[in-house]
Amino acid sequence: MNHRVELNRGNRIFLACIYWAFVLYVFVPLILMILMGFKDSKFIGFPIRSWTLDWYKGVFSDTDVMFTFGYSVAIAILSTLISVIVGTWIAVLLQGRKFWGRAVTFALMVLPALVPGIISAIAFRIYARMLGIEPGMGAIVWAHAVHNVPFVSLVVMARLSTLPKSQIEAARDLGADPLIAFLRVTLPYLVPAILGASIFCLLLSLDDFVRSFFLGGYEPTLPVLIFAMLRSGMSPEINAIATVALVLTAAIGIWAERFTRRNNKETKV
Amino acid sequence: MTHDASVRKDSGGNAVPAGDRTFWGRVANWGPYQAFSALLTASPRRQFLILAAFPILWLLTQHLGPMLQMLRVSLTDAYPVAPGTQQEFTLENYMRFFGDRIFWMPFFRTLTFAAVFTFCTLIITYPVAYFLARHVSRRNQMLMLLLLLVPFWVGEIVRTYAIMILLGNTGAVNLVLKWLGLIDRPIPFMYTSFSMGVGIVYLTALYMLLPLYSALEKLPQSMNEAAADLGAGAWTRFRRISLPMTIEGISSGCTLVFLISTGFYATPVLLGGPSTTVFAETIAGFFHVAGDEWPTGAAFAVIMFAAALLITGVFQKLMNMLRKGDTK
Repeated sequence: MNHRVELNRGNRIFLACIYWAFVLYVFVPLILMILMGFKDSKFIGFPIRSWTLDWYKGVFSDTDVMFTFGYSVAIAILSTLISVIVGTWIAVLLQGRKFWGRAVTFALMVLPALVPGIISAIAFRIYARMLGIEPGMGAIVWAHAVHNVPFVSLVVMARLSTLPKSQIEAARDLGADPLIAFLRVTLPYLVPAILGASIFCLLLSLDDFVRSFFLGGYEPTLPVLIFAMLRSGMSPEINAIATVALVLTAAIGIWAERFTRRNNKETKV
Repeated sequence: MTHDASVRKDSGGNAVPAGDRTFWGRVANWGPYQAFSALLTASPRRQFLILAAFPILWLLTQHLGPMLQMLRVSLTDAYPVAPGTQQEFTLENYMRFFGDRIFWMPFFRTLTFAAVFTFCTLIITYPVAYFLARHVSRRNQMLMLLLLLVPFWVGEIVRTYAIMILLGNTGAVNLVLKWLGLIDRPIPFMYTSFSMGVGIVYLTALYMLLPLYSALEKLPQSMNEAAADLGAGAWTRFRRISLPMTIEGISSGCTLVFLISTGFYATPVLLGGPSTTVFAETIAGFFHVAGDEWPTGAAFAVIMFAAALLITGVFQKLMNMLRKGDTK
């Protein structure tokens, strides 16, 4: 018996080491990237001997870069609005309803999430040409919206599956027609899932490179701008821009995580 | 004011209480709304059609449409069609793929790389997921998982750049190695399949970790204890219980990571070199030049997607057979 406990502890320590090594692997590159943005030299590389905030001052006083930030955020918000409405609608259709062709409908729903990035971008590029959508903001918003729909639908479907049927029945018994029952019972119940999915869509859109790259016009989104700058050489200025982008996305993510957790607690009580 | 009157008059009609002066009560009793609602919900059949019409239309035109149009363009000889010429259907775009080494070499390289990187991701994340699901208390589990999630919210490009800084000739790894006295001159990690692998594993690890974690979490602790009581060592327990019971998680994680790895474009461009050109770069090349190369690019994208689906399909079938064989 003792021997077994002993063995288990050995295993546990070994696995814990692997976990923390993995945490290092995940964090160290980002931390180094952030540190490099404070280096007082145009040359990227270690060691860092003197520090400066000049690169950040440069970024925040550069109107082009600030415009790109706004442009990316605007695209993210617009595409998220579309994805959330369409994704929720599809989820309501698919969840808990049996109809002819449901399996095919479900497969079609998840399709955009499964198509590898480059192929998805190419397909959208060709389709946009066919529809007569010029490359630019509209095209990017459209591509992001379509690509993000499956994520919304899946999250909302998961939440819908836990909605007690009796609540809808009670509302109907009290005289609510299906539309009012949906608006007053189902929709409020879905709010946490919809908000969580919106945050996820915002992050997906802000982080997306390949669709923005192939569907963008002359105006770059943030990842496309960083990519273009990287192709012409590394510089601490890129680190500063990338760090601001990183802080933006991580802040949205952490806030969403806290928000959903608080909400989960409330619904449990 | 007229609303109030109608509410009172309507008391016998619907089951809504006569005195309901709340917003929703008013809406429900408002004449135009009632007409609208009756129109929508006249019969369950009509109700379903109204609910289904928009999603079906969206799925067909937005989800399926781009893929079908890509397939159609891949079979034509020119796109977009120049005015005054006839567009003709042809298989020539597909023939081009087999005709030239510079086309099919990146294709097979991409599939090989994707398979190798997927396997590496599995090996790296399995112990991490195992530790989280089996050895950490439930309270800490969420926190420790969250710790791993944070970096994955950061975008593809920023994380790729972070890897460039890590592995460069004046990067952190070379600095540490030099400082330890292991090397005199920096090791050129960058622009090789190694740097590309580090980058892609870094980008995809989460998509493997989450399915593995949820599979391992469902595994009942009692089974492990029973096996231990019967004298099974840690390795046997892992091989005979954990591994077979989590095949589903492994299979979906690998499928996801494989599909994602084949689709990377920016990461191979930034981290790879001339000897590691992947098929995504080949495809993209046809879209940078003038439009008449689009059909070839579309054909190559179709080939790539079909191959990726075929491979993941066969893989899932195999894993399913393995699972069924184990439970028998």
